[in-house]
Amino acid sequence: MVTLDTFVGAVVGPAQLVPEGSRAVVFRRIYEVFLVLGTAVGVIVIAYMLWKAWKYRASADHGDDADRPQLGELPSGGGGGRKLFLSFSLSAIVVVSLISWTYLTLLYVENPEPVQDEEEPLTVRVVGHSFFWEFVYPNGESVNDQLVVPEDRHVRLVVTSEDVFHNFGIPELRAKSDAIPGQETNTWLLAEETGTYQANCYELCGPGHSHMTATVQVVSQSEFQSWYQGMGNESANDTAAAMDENVTANDTASALATPTPTGPSPALTTPAASSATTAASTQALPAPPTPTAAPARHAPTATRHHPEVI
Amino acid sequence: MTDDPTDGPTAPTDDGAASSGETDHDAERARADGGALEVADGHAQDEHAMPPTSSLKRWFVTTNHKDVGLLYIATSLSFLMLGGVLALLMRAQLWVPRAPGTGPLSAMAYNQAVSVHGLVMVFWFLSPFAFGFANYVVPLQMGAKDLAFPRLNALSYWLYLSSGVLLFVSFFQGGTFAGGWTMYAPLNLPAFTPSVGGSAAVLALMLFVASVTVSSVNFLTTMHRMRAEGLTLRRLPLFSWTILLTVWMMLFAFAALLAALLLLSADRLLGTTYFAVNGANGALLWTHLFWFFGHPEVYIVFFPALGVMAEVFQTFTGRRIVGRKWFIAAMVLVALQSFIVWMHHMFLTSINLEIKTLFMATTIGISLPFDLMVFSLIYTMVKGKIRFKTPFLFSFGGLLLFILGGITGVFLGAVVLDYEFRGTYWVVAHFHYVMVGGVTALIGGLYYWYPKMVGRMYDEFLGKVHFALYFVGFNLLYFPMFVAWETPRRVFDYDPGMTAWHQMATVGAVVLGASFLVMIYNLVTSAYRGEVADEDPWNYVTTAEWAVSSPPPLENFPGLPSYARGTLEFLGGSSSALKTVDDDAPAAADRGTGAATDGGAPATLDGSEALAASAHTAEEVQAGEDHHASHASVWPFLVGVGALLLLLGLSGFTNATWSEGAMGTAHQASTGVGAVVTFGALVGMAREQFVGPSGPYGESWPFEKVSNMKTGMWIFLVSDVVLFGAFIGAYVFLRFSSGWIAWEPIPDNVVPGLINTYLLLTSSFTVILALEAAERESRGGVVASLVATVVLGLGFLGNKAIEWEHLFTDKGIWIDSGIRESTFFVTTGLHAAHVVVGLLITLYLILRAWNGAYLDDAAPVEHFGLYWHFVDIVWLFLFPLFYIL
Repeated sequence: MVTLDTFVGAVVGPAQLVPEGSRAVVFRRIYEVFLVLGTAVGVIVIAYMLWKAWKYRASADHGDDADRPQLGELPSGGGGGRKLFLSFSLSAIVVVSLISWTYLTLLYVENPEPVQDEEEPLTVRVVGHSFFWEFVYPNGESVNDQLVVPEDRHVRLVVTSEDVFHNFGIPELRAKSDAIPGQETNTWLLAEETGTYQANCYELCGPGHSHMTATVQVVSQSEFQSWYQGMGNESANDTAAAMDENVTANDTASALATPTPTGPSPALTTPAASSATTAASTQALPAPPTPTAAPARHAPTATRHHPEVI
Repeated sequence: MTDDPTDGPTAPTDDGAASSGETDHDAERARADGGALEVADGHAQDEHAMPPTSSLKRWFVTTNHKDVGLLYIATSLSFLMLGGVLALLMRAQLWVPRAPGTGPLSAMAYNQAVSVHGLVMVFWFLSPFAFGFANYVVPLQMGAKDLAFPRLNALSYWLYLSSGVLLFVSFFQGGTFAGGWTMYAPLNLPAFTPSVGGSAAVLALMLFVASVTVSSVNFLTTMHRMRAEGLTLRRLPLFSWTILLTVWMMLFAFAALLAALLLLSADRLLGTTYFAVNGANGALLWTHLFWFFGHPEVYIVFFPALGVMAEVFQTFTGRRIVGRKWFIAAMVLVALQSFIVWMHHMFLTSINLEIKTLFMATTIGISLPFDLMVFSLIYTMVKGKIRFKTPFLFSFGGLLLFILGGITGVFLGAVVLDYEFRGTYWVVAHFHYVMVGGVTALIGGLYYWYPKMVGRMYDEFLGKVHFALYFVGFNLLYFPMFVAWETPRRVFDYDPGMTAWHQMATVGAVVLGASFLVMIYNLVTSAYRGEVADEDPWNYVTTAEWAVSSPPPLENFPGLPSYARGTLEFLGGSSSALKTVDDDAPAAADRGTGAATDGGAPATLDGSEALAASAHTAEEVQAGEDHHASHASVWPFLVGVGALLLLLGLSGFTNATWSEGAMGTAHQASTGVGAVVTFGALVGMAREQFVGPSGPYGESWPFEKVSNMKTGMWIFLVSDVVLFGAFIGAYVFLRFSSGWIAWEPIPDNVVPGLINTYLLLTSSFTVILALEAAERESRGGVVASLVATVVLGLGFLGNKAIEWEHLFTDKGIWIDSGIRESTFFVTTGLHAAHVVVGLLITLYLILRAWNGAYLDDAAPVEHFGLYWHFVDIVWLFLFPLFYIL
């Protein structure tokens, strides 16, 4: 299908039939097309409906009464099959072609081709807890309720949950994935502008669901580097509250500190990166990043817990 | 708990015991009377142990489909009020973004409101509302006097009401279930939603599913077996068609939900670990089980609305529907396809791209037949003579809203867009346009059939006021949700920029809610003051319910309905009864020949031909007329009471322990009393002599050669296959997730299982012997064979008890030890429960056989045999899966 994608792209030219770029761009393009077409179809169909309803109102006395339905007759069709099929075929063509078009985008979104010369995507593990988000960086450090990512760099999110079913989503960056206990899901994002965004939980997870948000900070690459280097050093970053556990994760950290240069293969599946992430995952999966950090995490969130019952 | 999957087998068997024994006898009596057929007269029938409608007692003992239909409608509207009040509470909370702990509702209260609003509206309002019409109208449209199993129909209703009462009570048991109507795991476990009310809500839903299953079996048997002569399936009116497809979908989908709920209840009550956080992929298992049910459920609630639209459009445009057979074909396609689209609810879970592609394709595929149906309805208006009466306004409005819901649904079909819409108000707005669009059409149905049910017209002006308020309120409520779609679902702390849209929605909710007050005022006052309605208050109707008085007499028709000669006529009835149709109908002249209903006016026909036609059906005429049909039984109501007490008690049982203190005692007492009442009422129902309508009335495809009871039993077993399929599927899924070979069979010794296989297979053989003996009319043979069956079955259970005891005491393994253990004990436990029920039925059969039953009619033994063989076959699957592999 990727070849088909390329083929279609070649035919249509650089105008790009299939939108590519950040998820926000892709989403906007498709959404706009759907909105315009959907509105048009809706307006046409409903206008036609209203028009016919008005035109054939009883008081207008259209048509003859010769062949009206009679009580007790066996049902039979009312004819008009050709028109029915014509409209049906038309609608089927519109829907099928629209969806096929978005399918090409899906292929892109599911496996974005690596931007040439771009560095290794940053992999962040997102762990849902009732009711806060934990972000584990490749160096094994974790931050709660604040995701810091560099601009213009693909960020791969590996999403899971420690307790119930959550869903992690950053609406403005159009990244979203289910956070399922015992499962990992993948998504990615590409932030093109620095700034502060909000992440939400999109699956009902308990009394704290409404307030299970996290801040997403998109910073310049250099800022990110200095922040990343300083993680674990508590004075370097006041938002990264829990940095004192990098001792256990040192191995993983050193493995990721020197990312292997990416070849033409899709960046997200670079062996070094994926194996390192797996290492981090296996380490983190059975228990929170560090056993000592876990209770500390839960203590502040307990104040946001509203267990009262009507 | 154990009686849920078993209500079916117990009750139908006993119904059969009563009716199949009685019917022939009855028909003979009718023939002895000289075959003279009196006009079915409501007042005359009331003498047969049926109190008048004004008596309160009637509504507790009635089994008549029209009464039950009215009960369904009234009850479902009460639940609409409950769900509506919860919705208004939510909208009040959403008036402005709320910080934690502010606003009228606490976070937990809000979650409860969200969850129960969804549950009540989808389960306790929408389907039962539609099934109120189905109960009332379908037998009339089909030409049947009642459903095949009238007592089971009443039972469905009482189980439904009990389940609803239990759900309502759950609010007062430390808070009800708060995990959303989708009940995602593991939030649905006591570890996260610990309240007793949470368990009560789950059990309530399970009871509801039991009600639906009984209902599905009943409707399917009725609709396949008891259609009037000439009314082949393809000629069935469209409303009946939608109900037929709905019940087929219900049979399969609700069995899957029952499996999910049984597993969830096992987790909540017994402490198994199917959905536990540290289990084996339980969260994903739940989504599969739930959505396998959940997506067909969308069509289950929408199809009846579609049927109402089709009927109302035809009547009020005065046109036959365009492309009728394609309309039906499209619905059949949707019904089939509805079972292969469920994973589109799971695009953001860990399913892979290939599966996403497949489910995207099936999802688009299922949307296309709806295009055809919508166009078909729209084109039906062309060249029509459209009368904008209230039913049409609501159906027309419903179609319009459904179109908007459909278009916004296509957005969700595009996976890339779905990724972003997941969990947002786009989804909320979309499915409310679809589902409440359906409700809109159903309300049209309520106005449409109101004069038929009540015998008086509603107030047209107030009806139009209702529609205006409703339509404005609806769009004011749901359209802003599209605009504010970025709001996450079930969240009350939203982006302040969206406040204005949410406030609009809240205002719309109030308007929508208020519009129902107008409706209720209208319908209640019109029942007393409305203009009296004759048979057909609308003109251009075609279906049979309009050919009888409003409301119809207890046994529906003045004779045996038949379409054998191309139009509806009542065979054997007095012509005077038939004449009234023509005399009173204002549009008689419009209908040209008016031959529709005048079987008593042979002038239009060759006399001898008419005579021949009557002679041809004389037998059916006689067989169809049960002059001594029973209509009253108090047992279904008592089963409902017992089930309510039983499940209310069980809700206090969490992780294998009773709640503490006085409440625990109360729960235990309630469980005990409930169990006794339920069992006693079921036995009472079995022992009661009850004569239902036997059918067939002419068309029974594809079950011409199969009796009602046998058909019902087969259909029930189909749902049981799905139930076990889901249990086994859950086991395979979890084992696969854990790495298949990582699991060893739980029993270390295969021999007890092997012995049990032999015991069960032998017991199947003894049941066959019992049937043989019954056919040879050997009383001793029947009793001996059945006793042998019981002995073998007890051997099976005893052997199993020893095995479990060994596992528990010697190896320390029990149901809550781990997921591997849970699947073993729960799956084989479900099977053992089936064995227990089978043995109880066998004991009942033995008692009756001892008194000489079954010798002239071996059918009950045969029907029980079907069940018993099925239970044995299930074991043949379970044994290798749990003992060898």
